[in-house]
Amino acid sequence: MVTKIQISEVGKRYEGRNPVEALSDVTLTVDDSEFVCLVGPSGCGKSTLLRMIMGLHRPSAGTVDVFADDPVLPPTAMVFQDYSIFPWKTVEQNVRFGFEGRRLPRAECDARVDKWLERLGLSQFRRAYPAALSGGMRQRVSIARALAVEPEVLLMDEPFAALDAQLRRVLQEELLALWQQDRRTVVFVTHSLEEAILLGDRIVVMSARPGRIIADIRVPFDRPRSPQIRTAPEFAELEGEIWAQLRDEVDRSLVGGAR
Amino acid sequence: MRASQISDRTTGTGDDGRRRWRVQPGQQERNPRAFARRRRLERRLLGVLVPVVLLVAWELCANAGLIDTRFFPAPSQIGSTAVDMIGNGILLTDLTVTVRVLLIGLVSGFVVGTVAGLLLGLSRIARAALEPLLSALYTIPKLAVLPLLLLIFGVGELPKVILVGLGVFFIAWISVLEAILDLPGAYGEAATAFDVRGWRRMRHVTLPAVLPQVLVGLRISVGNAVLIVVGVEFVSGDEGIGYRIWNSWSIFAADRMYVGIVVVALLGYLLSLLVQLLSRVCVPWAPSTAARRD
Ligand SMILES: Nc1ncnc2c1ncn2[C@@H]1O[C@H](COP(=O)(O)OP(=O)(O)OP(=O)(O)O)[C@@H](O)[C@H]1O
Ligand SMILES: [Mg+2]
Repeated sequence: MVTKIQISEVGKRYEGRNPVEALSDVTLTVDDSEFVCLVGPSGCGKSTLLRMIMGLHRPSAGTVDVFADDPVLPPTAMVFQDYSIFPWKTVEQNVRFGFEGRRLPRAECDARVDKWLERLGLSQFRRAYPAALSGGMRQRVSIARALAVEPEVLLMDEPFAALDAQLRRVLQEELLALWQQDRRTVVFVTHSLEEAILLGDRIVVMSARPGRIIADIRVPFDRPRSPQIRTAPEFAELEGEIWAQLRDEVDRSLVGGAR
Repeated sequence: MRASQISDRTTGTGDDGRRRWRVQPGQQERNPRAFARRRRLERRLLGVLVPVVLLVAWELCANAGLIDTRFFPAPSQIGSTAVDMIGNGILLTDLTVTVRVLLIGLVSGFVVGTVAGLLLGLSRIARAALEPLLSALYTIPKLAVLPLLLLIFGVGELPKVILVGLGVFFIAWISVLEAILDLPGAYGEAATAFDVRGWRRMRHVTLPAVLPQVLVGLRISVGNAVLIVVGVEFVSGDEGIGYRIWNSWSIFAADRMYVGIVVVALLGYLLSLLVQLLSRVCVPWAPSTAARRD
């Protein structure tokens, strides 16, 4: 297997009024075309880690490397937890924004924008402004923007968190199908263990703040996977197993002892 | 944008020839204290250095006869004139007169304007009744009404104060009104959902939400107030910095004129510094305040 992302002994401390030790000594390797899910209690530094892979934050210690096949284009694209789409752009313009930083023929952009608007069920709303969309639709715009640039590494920060349970399920299955068709490296942050098991090749469990990696679990289900595996007994078993590890950390993060 | 977000990835080549995009600790992460100290030093140094260099250049040009010293007397000469003017008390008298008018006009105009802005922002009727009128009045040059004010109130401090107040009043109500109309709906919804109304809603939601805008308005107002007070003193009265500048010019005392100009500039600078300080204290939640590290 070829390494795609190499995170080595990374620590992150936010300075400022009340400094926060967000991550401590995180080492993680993600292979090419691997789908890795990141789970951990709220505030443990998942978004922080993702942002560093994206190159938005610098670590306080250690290095984060992403290896790109393309000689020019940055390999990563990101779906932000708070969407980060622009209120002054229409749905279509927001999705098209992803191409601003890349030189791509106009026709190719158009085609991709159409394709991804279609796939995410946004075609009807292409001329609407975000203010007129529901939370779930805004999130889909943000997902479409990242997918449309077809990056080598897709970073997704709780992309389905704002969606209703049904749509969430549909998009999970859609993402599963998409990914199995066209394998890319994905780092996917989620709070849902079910989602993590359904989608991921590996599940990386993080501790309460300062975030460390406390478990790295390979999901035993074969690819291509069907959404039916949700009902398999092994599925529930694995979910229970991961939850057992996570539970203490969640408790710890609530008590606030993990400063 | 916060400094931590401008991180740049360095690119290199990996062992297998693929392109490697790397993020690693920079100066800022390796030694945050030293980084912050250096930034601060840099900022102060540049802030002082640029004017000093310009002044030195001016001095050299004046001494070398490259510029006409009747119009552009050397800074050293202006400085010695300033010392004289401080010595015989003229400068202090002028400054007191100007600052008095400035502050009274600024504060009263701003308070009345803010209240008007709140009223207009919160009441549809008031907005319908007054906004067109006020907008029309806004564009009348303030100096154009000075003769009228002089007629009504006679020569003295009052017409000047009113004029400064008027100028500031318009800036204040427009910024407050716009801020209220632009309030994100979610704030109001959260207030309604918890049944927070009336004065409490004002105190907990509306006022804090518009405060940053109001302070921007104040900063612009300060500049305008200085402009107006100097302008008014040009044309009326026989003291104040503005009068001194105009009078010095008409008696061809360029060095005294420059002393006046410099004092006005310093006054404006100090006042806007004060407003910035106020903003920092009053709006601790603003990202630029919370993450301030320079
Ligand atoms: N820009 C910032 N400045 C200061 N502290 C920050 C900043 N961003 C994050 N933090 C702190 O770092 C810690 C980790 O934040 P992060 O957003 O990475 O958590 P997370 O694991 O994504 O949480 P969640 O699951 O709730 O999204 C938090 O305790 C937070 O307080
Ligand atoms: Mg997060």
